This record gives sequence, structure tokens and C-alpha cells, in this order.
Amino acid sequence: MPLQPFVIYIAGSLHCPQRKSVSRVDTSSPQPEVTDAGRPPDRKSRRRSKARRDQSSLVGHNRAVPYLLSGPSILMVIALLLFPVVYAVFGSLFDTEFIGGTPEFVGLAQYVDLFQDPDFLWSIGRTFVFVAGVLVIGIPLGLVFAFALSRATGKLRFLRGITIVPYLISGIATAVIFRLVLNRDFGEVNRVLGFFGIEELAWFSNPTLAMLASVLAQVWSDLPLVILLILGGLMTVDADLLDAADVDGATGWKRAWRISIPLIIPQLALATILLSYQALTSLGVILALTGGGPVDATRTLPIALYETAFIDLETNKAMAIVIVILLFNAVLTLGYWALSRRFELEAA
Amino acid sequence: MSITAPANVAPERRAASPRGQLMKRWLRRIAIWVPLLALAIWTIYPVLMTLSISFKTKADVSADPGLIPANPTLDGYRSVLERQGFQDAFLNSMVVGLGTALLTVVLAVPAAYAFARFRFRGRHLLLLFTLLPRLIPGLGLMVPLYRIAVALGAIDLLLTLIVAFTATVLPLAVWLFVGFFQQVPRELEEAANVDGSSLYTRIRHIVLPLAFPAIITVGVLAFREAWNEFNLVLALTSTPGSRTLPYELFLMTQTTGFQDNPGQAAFAIMTIIPFIFIYLRLERYVVSGLTSGALK
Repeated sequence: MPLQPFVIYIAGSLHCPQRKSVSRVDTSSPQPEVTDAGRPPDRKSRRRSKARRDQSSLVGHNRAVPYLLSGPSILMVIALLLFPVVYAVFGSLFDTEFIGGTPEFVGLAQYVDLFQDPDFLWSIGRTFVFVAGVLVIGIPLGLVFAFALSRATGKLRFLRGITIVPYLISGIATAVIFRLVLNRDFGEVNRVLGFFGIEELAWFSNPTLAMLASVLAQVWSDLPLVILLILGGLMTVDADLLDAADVDGATGWKRAWRISIPLIIPQLALATILLSYQALTSLGVILALTGGGPVDATRTLPIALYETAFIDLETNKAMAIVIVILLFNAVLTLGYWALSRRFELEAA
Repeated sequence: MSITAPANVAPERRAASPRGQLMKRWLRRIAIWVPLLALAIWTIYPVLMTLSISFKTKADVSADPGLIPANPTLDGYRSVLERQGFQDAFLNSMVVGLGTALLTVVLAVPAAYAFARFRFRGRHLLLLFTLLPRLIPGLGLMVPLYRIAVALGAIDLLLTLIVAFTATVLPLAVWLFVGFFQQVPRELEEAANVDGSSLYTRIRHIVLPLAFPAIITVGVLAFREAWNEFNLVLALTSTPGSRTLPYELFLMTQTTGFQDNPGQAAFAIMTIIPFIFIYLRLERYVVSGLTSGALK
């Protein structure tokens, strides 16, 4: 869900006919390259002047009108997004003797228990491995693909449309697809590896390979966002700069390393945070792919949360895990916030 | 790109060593083609393989490695259609998807209009709308919403799913609409206002028709969210008749394991196809809704 605003970015970059138009077209895109010339001086001041005109021009409205219009949405968001978190904080301070028993106040005991539980600490470690794996594979892959797409002209442009396909597919369906592709006997990956003399890797019974399989499936499902985010960045890189470098005799690699990549650092940073978000909160893909196994090898925090809440039915303890996950997530959000400040991206 | 300004420089260099230049051009072409090919294979091949397996018999899955099945069969699809629960889940997914899209638009349009056009105290809550979905992912909502739904007796209701999904999509929807409404020329509304039309008339006859592409966009995004959501369905449903497709597919992978590959492939394909179909039909609107700069 937190990725959604980038859809706009994607659709904008997918269908923009020329390089520059991206930045004008999509409102959510980080557009550090667009200078003041192209946009109103300051968002705040523009809003302020609008509001002032509001009172003079659209006369005759009741003062209650804006509250009536926005009230339902605000209430809904508070009731279903904010309240559950408060509820989880309180819930995590209670515990029951047995399933269905009366909850008793235990303070921070749940958290103490969690952090003394080696299984839980391991699952935090695994989560970091998983997130790191997704980043290590996802970012370079997204970068290469985005560069290639930015060079795809003419009839090859249809490839941009294809790129979005994994984004349209649910995490569970992605997992089903990867169970087939990575199947030990008939999976295409093993067939290709067999050609190089690597025989029948057991992707789902070897702990390391199972983790790698989860990482691959997760990367596959989120790469469209990364590719199109970076592609959007590449589109805003000034063509004149690249041409000038060309004339000066810079090769393709040099142009990429020295000019394009430094200019798209904001998009790369954003893509890193987005991928981390998705990996940190990924439940469906891993659950349907490996179920957390073999022997807990892919039991990341979300899987631990699922098992505690819906297998062991210890919902109070699960709410403590929720808070831990939300805290990790908040760190990422902080990073995101800092980035958007630093690069003057619009908060999206 | 096409016109390099100092055109007299490049030909000289090229003339220096024509063979080296030719090789360089080929290298450059390969450097573009190889990643593009890799991208196409990476993106499409897994889906094609799944499609292929969905038409194979169980025995052929390992016996017949070809992408085009030697003995194509519809057994996989038949087994899924006969599954207890698939039809229910499909219907539920449709109802929940359309319901979420509708409710999201109905709630988000007026809210966004207020945020975009009025100066009022709650206006700064818009910032909340942009940050909350990042701070609170769907995963974090599973357990507390489950507890709340149990307490309210709202477990297993489609309406609960619709309301929960709407809440998760709402911030984005409002945010999208605000951006859109800010681009609708105020002058149009001011003119109507002078002519004495009411707020309702202005929204109904000026803003909504102009916002049509944005409405379709938000609708498609909300539908996608509801169609693909797994976490909250897992949390908020417990009986067979109330689930949606992703959860039903998950249950199938748990019960059939690696035994029924064509069946699972067919199920996955059937969850993918309807949304791709909807997306392709409405892509035109989605794109024009997203590239709403056209109004300027």
C-alpha cells in the first residue's frame, strides 16, 4: 500500500512521448531537476493565495460544508488506520493465561519475553538478511533494466508496458509462479542451471536456497516500481549533458557512471527505501512460497507475526510483534522523510 | 539526441578508424539488446511458463518440458472450477473489488474537493493522509483489525472487507484527487457561482465530468488493491464462503502442495486474467487520469 503514489509516476513515465514531459505530467514524481522556472514558486504560498481567493470568490457557502465533505474520509482513516495502532499498543501490554481467557495487565512483559526469545531474535536477523538480499539483487537489476529501457526506442517501447505486469499480480500468485519456475524437477531455472552442469538444486528444502527463492520472488514482484522509478529519473537527465559528454568522447559506461547515476541518486535512494518497505512487510509471498520453512529458514518477522496470531492464537503477543514491525517501519519512514526533505521531493 | 551540435567533429573521428567504430556500434547495440532481452525473459517467462503448465496434464508437467503443451488439456481449469470455494471466492473478489472502488470514490471525491478548494481547520490533515499509509502498512493492521472485528461481530462479512480495504486506499485516493482538483480551473466554478448555481450543482456538472479520468484511475487502483489483498482477508475471514481469491489460492497451495501443479497454475492464471483485462480496457483512462496535465 505505501507504494501506491508511485503508480502515478509509473503511468506518467510509461506513456510520456518525449524525455522532458515526465516531470511536467506527474504530480507525485520526485523532480529535483525541474527548477523554479517550470513550477509555481512554492507550494505553500500557492495554496495560501488560493485559500484567500476562496473566501472572496466562492461566496455563499456554509462554513460547515468543508467539514461535511471531508469528515467521512477523515473519520474512516482515523478509525481504521490510526485507532488499530493505538489498540495494538494497548493490547500488547496485556496477556491472557490461556486462549480466550480474561486479559490481564502485564506491562512490558510481552516485549521482554520477545527479546529474550532466541527464535524471535533470529527472525529479526532473517528479516534483515531478506531485506538486504532484496536490495542487493533488486537495485542493480532495476538499474540495468531501466538503463536498457531508456534506450529502447521505436517499436521496443512496448517493453515498457510489459514491465508493469508483475505489479498487477498478487503476492500469492507470484509465489505460485515461483514454485513452478524454481521447481526441482521441471522448473526452468534448474533446467538452465543443469545446462551449466549444476544439477537439480532443491530450492525449497535447502535453507539458503529457500531464502534466495523468497528474495527472488519478492524482487520479481516489486521490480516494476523500481525500474519505472529509475526510468523516470533517467528521463529527466538532460539530453544535452549526455550529448556533450558524447562529443567529448565519453563512452556509454562513463556516461552512465559519471553523469546519469549521480543525477538520479534521489530516485535510487527512494527505490532503496521502497524496496525495504515492501520486503520488511512482505507476508503473502514468503508464506505461500516457503511457509517460513524449511525449519524456519525463511521465518521473517511477518511470518512470526502470522504464526503467533493465527496459528498459536496469542494475539496479545502478536500485537507486541506488530509494534516492533511498526517501529522498524517508522525508521524507514524517517529515512524517507529526510530524503524527501533533502531532495525536495513532494511528500507522497 | 539526434542532432549533435558540432557535427563536423564526429565524422572526422569516425573516419580515423572505421572498423573500430563499427565494432563499437555493435558493442553498444549488444549492450542495449542483452539487458532488454533479459528484462523481457525475467518479466514474461515466469507467467508464460505458468500459463503453459496450466494446460498440461499432471504427468506431463515433468515429462513434457516444452512451453507449448504436447497434449493440451483443460483439466487444470476444470479442477479449479470444481473446487469448493473457487466460485464463491471469485464472486466475493468481484463484489469486494467493485465495492471498494465505489466506496473509495464516493468518499474521496468530496474530501479531496474540500481539501483542494476550502480553507478550513482540518485542512492540514491532508499531511496525515500522505504519511499514515507509510507509517502503517497493511501488515500492521492485521491483528488489531482482527481483534476489533471479532469484538464487533464483523468477521466474515464482505462489507467488513470493503470498509477495511477502502480505508487503506483512501489516503492515496484523496491525495490523487486533490492534485487533480487543483488543476481544474477555478474560473469555471466561479463563473457558475456568479450564475447562482449551488455547490452541489457545481460539483455535479463541472467538477465531476472533468474529473472522470481521475475517477476511473482511482477506481482501478482501488479495485487492484482489493483484488490482490491477502493480509487483511487472512485476518478478517474464517469461513469458506467469505474469502477472496488470493486467500483461496493460498489455501490450495497448502492443501495440494506440489501435487497439483496444473491446478495451481490454472488458479493463478484465473486470478491474474480478470484484472489484466480490466486494466487493459481502462488503461486509456488510467493514463489520461494520471497524466492530467492535459487540463492545463
